Amino acid sequence: MLWRAHHLINRRTTFDFLGKRRLALVASTIINVLSIVGVFTLGLNFGIDFEGGIAIQVRAKQGDIHLENLRTTTGDLGVGEVTLQEFGDNKSALIRVQRQEGNAQCVAHADKVMKKRAGNGWSVVPGDDDKTGDVTFTSPSALDSGGWRDAVSTVGLTLQDRQLPRGNVNSAKIEMTHEQRAEWCQQVAIKLVEDAIGGQYELRGTESVGPKIGEELMHSGVIAVLATLGAICVYVWVRFEWQFGVAALIALLHDVISTVGLFVVLHLDFSLTALAAVLTIAGYSINDTVVIFDRVRENMRRYRKMSLIELLNFSINETLARTLMTSGTVFVAVLALVLFGGPVLYSFSIAMLWGVVVGTYSSIWIASACLVYMKLRPEQFRGKAEDEKAKA
Amino acid sequence: MLNLPRWQTISIVTITLLAALLALPNLLPDRVMSVLPAWYQQTRINLGLDLRGGAHFLLEADLRGVMNERLTNLSDSVRAEMRKEQVALKSVDVDSGKAVVLVLRDEAQRPKALEGLRAIDPTLAVTGDGGTIRVAYADVDLVRKRKEVIDQSIEILRRRVDETGTIEPTIVRQGDDRILLQIPGIKDTTELKRKINQTAKLTFHLVDENVAATGQALPTALPPTTFLVPTREGMQSLRAADPKKFDEIMSANPRLTPEQICRRYQPQCLPVLKRVVVGGEDLDDAKSTFENQANGGRPIISFTFNAAGGRAFCAATRANIGKRLAIQLDSEIISAPVVQSAICGGSGIITGQFTTQQTQEQALLLRSGALPATLTIIEERTVGADLGADAIHSGTVAALVGTAFVILFMLISYGPVFGGFASLAMLVNMLLVFAGMSVLGASLTLPGIAGLVLTVGMSVDSNVLIYERVREERANGRSAFSALATGYEKALTAVIDSNLTALIAGVLLFGFGAGPIRGFATSLSLGLLTHLFTATIFTRMVLSIWVRWRRPTELPL
Repeated sequence: MLWRAHHLINRRTTFDFLGKRRLALVASTIINVLSIVGVFTLGLNFGIDFEGGIAIQVRAKQGDIHLENLRTTTGDLGVGEVTLQEFGDNKSALIRVQRQEGNAQCVAHADKVMKKRAGNGWSVVPGDDDKTGDVTFTSPSALDSGGWRDAVSTVGLTLQDRQLPRGNVNSAKIEMTHEQRAEWCQQVAIKLVEDAIGGQYELRGTESVGPKIGEELMHSGVIAVLATLGAICVYVWVRFEWQFGVAALIALLHDVISTVGLFVVLHLDFSLTALAAVLTIAGYSINDTVVIFDRVRENMRRYRKMSLIELLNFSINETLARTLMTSGTVFVAVLALVLFGGPVLYSFSIAMLWGVVVGTYSSIWIASACLVYMKLRPEQFRGKAEDEKAKA
Repeated sequence: MLNLPRWQTISIVTITLLAALLALPNLLPDRVMSVLPAWYQQTRINLGLDLRGGAHFLLEADLRGVMNERLTNLSDSVRAEMRKEQVALKSVDVDSGKAVVLVLRDEAQRPKALEGLRAIDPTLAVTGDGGTIRVAYADVDLVRKRKEVIDQSIEILRRRVDETGTIEPTIVRQGDDRILLQIPGIKDTTELKRKINQTAKLTFHLVDENVAATGQALPTALPPTTFLVPTREGMQSLRAADPKKFDEIMSANPRLTPEQICRRYQPQCLPVLKRVVVGGEDLDDAKSTFENQANGGRPIISFTFNAAGGRAFCAATRANIGKRLAIQLDSEIISAPVVQSAICGGSGIITGQFTTQQTQEQALLLRSGALPATLTIIEERTVGADLGADAIHSGTVAALVGTAFVILFMLISYGPVFGGFASLAMLVNMLLVFAGMSVLGASLTLPGIAGLVLTVGMSVDSNVLIYERVREERANGRSAFSALATGYEKALTAVIDSNLTALIAGVLLFGFGAGPIRGFATSLSLGLLTHLFTATIFTRMVLSIWVRWRRPTELPL
């Protein structure tokens, strides 16, 4: 049974794909509008890559994880919003702490950590007024600059020589800007969480992204998406006609926007890997679209009398078997990622799975339907194609 | 036509075998690998930090702070120079991060003031009119200074990380003012962070020429005022000869004293007097430059002390002409030049048979006492080794299952012959990707594994395109052979177009991405590129061989 070829798709289908184009366009428009509205109302669940913040992977030293306990412990720390999720198995969790602002509260946390780790004689307070980010450390005994360096590293502060006090003193005012303090506060928050849960949980991995880098990544991420869409559009334009380029662009936008919508609905983490998924979906979807366009171009040369809609329907039906086969192979490969790829790749894999489906759909309906609405004139195109042939 | 010229067939087979050879080290167990030649062992894909465990830091240098400090120093020299030239000033201010602004009491003194500024540094950019003068560093100078600050920071970081005894750290400049630091295998970063910010200890000592004159490498009896310190050259040749021993020295806890290193490991050492002539904190600057043309124009190192350092240095050199003055950085002597004359006035030069590269390195070492700029950690990621092992496990399972799914799918759809061809092309493609990654020394990350799985799914696409086209041509009534040939030919443009468009996304992702994402982009783009080869040429070869062998009249498709 297995050892012969099975035609999963009938050899000659004659679906009237474009007859349903209005339905498809309405449905897609609704989904896209809802996605955009969703982003602005519900908001994307940005991972720490873009928003800045801390992510800590922990595993219970004994028994299963108690999310409720963990939630209470970390929630009471005062480090802002903390979200928890089970991660992989029921022994592990991912703790996410929001980006730290570098306010006076963070200095109070530093004080707490310092007292716990270096002894009760220590104190950490904000500088005279809170106009700058200055912080004053007081030690129980006088220290030289080397001693100070070691001491402040207890709370994750790294200093340069000229910032350290000279001579043997027991109080040091560390000058910094608010921005620098905000970056440091990330370190303080990690230590605080460590102190609070270190007894019962093992910290397996820590990620901390400062406020500055998050903004930059967001910026360059948007640019990467736009550049990808633009470059693909131009490629299709050059290889085909401008109408094809625009149609491809619209289909891609559709895929990108609805994928982002999926992230909103499922409340998935929108991280760097998610962005990679979006770009890969764009690459995959265009792959599909191009195969159909290629056939449309070929058929335009061959069937001169056919109307545009007929011709598009014919081309889509001709390539349908291939389209579904390819989607099928990628789908099963991605399915393996969803099932076995582990928690880190989970949102990436789910997004890709969705992307395979939506990319196939948009190649058939959105990209082709756009050609109809842009009044692609086959005559003009044929003329040009024949000129090229003559030249060759 | 499907037929390939013989030379093409031969080159395809050669490429495939070569790829298999290059990809092989990734699959062999360590036990087998260790008996193979070293160059071959090294063609292995590096595992990314997220798979092998380790720490990743992105540090940002506070260049603005450095700039302001420089401008403050400049404003001091401006004040001094104007006093000397008797130019009356209303004010001298630092315009934060940009320039020093002078306001003159008397506009008529402007030419005199400008002359004074030229005397300080002829390359300064001077603007403004009337009684106001803005003095800024020239753009070229700023670019050079920035580069210097980052290079120096990297050098210091490297020394610090080396001291912790970790292997294969990656320390590279990123963008204008950032440094990427990746250290595999490290778990606790507290110690490392403390180390990073530690200042290296730079001191000047006189060489104990009495002991040195005995010519013994390891003098048994030393005067109590003298101790042995290994030279940098000595330590480096020790490292080259026996890296394990070097690591042992570096990671010894408690740390070995220079004297202990000399006694136990016997690198080249010098006896020096314990008394510190001048400390590194008094060294203002050191740079690589050239002698006057009249003296031969050789590369030299010039250095400047602050006032206190200058005085101490003057006294020490005056009393010890003809003796060597050793410059000790941490527990190494980086050089021990002979004192030619008394060096007073705060600045001096070190001459010798140096190349420019050597003088640059020496100057860098002299400056590497303290970090030149505050480094702030703006991104930190640590992955425990067991977490990395988990990731490797789930990644491998996903990749194997994905591959099995795809092969099964192809066999069901296109039967054992054509489905088998497609699977073979896909496996060869994976082999090429592995070989490519090994040769490029690319890192395999967890998202990179995801990229590989996607490649598996996407790389059978071209076979699908060809087969479906062949089915169509067959349905249109062509003979088996003709259907294969035309189907292949007609599918080709679609294969190339669809791969190139997908590649655009991959390449842009590479340009944008950092760390793990870059790993994803690498494996995906490489997969698409090699796929162009397997899809077009390899598949054609397989089909043509099969056609010649079987001479089919009917296609099992």
